[in-house]
Amino acid sequence: MEKRVDAMGMTCPKPVILAKKEMDKSRPGDVVMVQVDNEVAAENLRKLANSQEADYEMRKLGEKHYEVKITVKKEGSSREEKEPEYISCVPQGQKNTVVVISSDKMGEGDPELGQILIKGFLYSLTQLEKLPDTVLFYNKGAFLTCEGSPVLEDLKTLEKEGVRICTCGTCLDFYKMKEKLAVGTIVNMYVITETQAKADLIIKP
Amino acid sequence: MREKKEKLVVAFLTTTQAMAAEKYCQKNQIPGRIIPLPSEISAECGIAWCAEPEEEEQIRQAADNGEIQAAGIYRVYLYP
Repeated sequence: MEKRVDAMGMTCPKPVILAKKEMDKSRPGDVVMVQVDNEVAAENLRKLANSQEADYEMRKLGEKHYEVKITVKKEGSSREEKEPEYISCVPQGQKNTVVVISSDKMGEGDPELGQILIKGFLYSLTQLEKLPDTVLFYNKGAFLTCEGSPVLEDLKTLEKEGVRICTCGTCLDFYKMKEKLAVGTIVNMYVITETQAKADLIIKP
Repeated sequence: MREKKEKLVVAFLTTTQAMAAEKYCQKNQIPGRIIPLPSEISAECGIAWCAEPEEEEQIRQAADNGEIQAAGIYRVYLYP
């Protein structure tokens, strides 16, 4: 008997839970076909299959479409089995990372040191193996994306590599810097809020 | 795909020395920039001068003449 589980668009551990439910109701020889949209889910299904001594086959059908075929070998599931160790539900290196810069200095203290630190910080961003998705600039941070900023080159490097550089429009307006924006785009508060709300990881130096 | 490139990195004993070296290089039009000291050189916190490898001779000379106080000159692979 073949059972189908459509777990497209589901975040783990849901695909694993649904597949396990079907496997528990299965008899040896039954097949559970699971459709998932990411490799991590497919990998977690492999671990599930291993833990249940079931056969596992995976086919990549498209950019975001994986078909997993689990052939059940045992009746039901035994409770003594160890829980398989599932890997992180967020694919490694695919976290949506947002950096928030709210000042032209890093930390409180001597202003000159604060400027050296923020320069060093923004340079270090360019050295990350996995670059952030977005860097948000607001309030005094907006000065860093404008002409005369000591970090323009690094921000241009980031932008060239696909990092979104976003500066608060209200801030540019307030400081009368709108004409001086030298890298990235102007965004409003909704984008600033939404970008952070949707982030997996926020870095605020 | 980003690739790391070889850079010349000059380490200093103090932040003040690094900033003095920055001023010296800017004045003498030696291209380069201040970066945080790469972890490959030291885990300590500090700032360093980063330049293209071609600048090595000029920087060594400045160090030998005592124009800049270098604690070490290194080659490190960094993202451009």
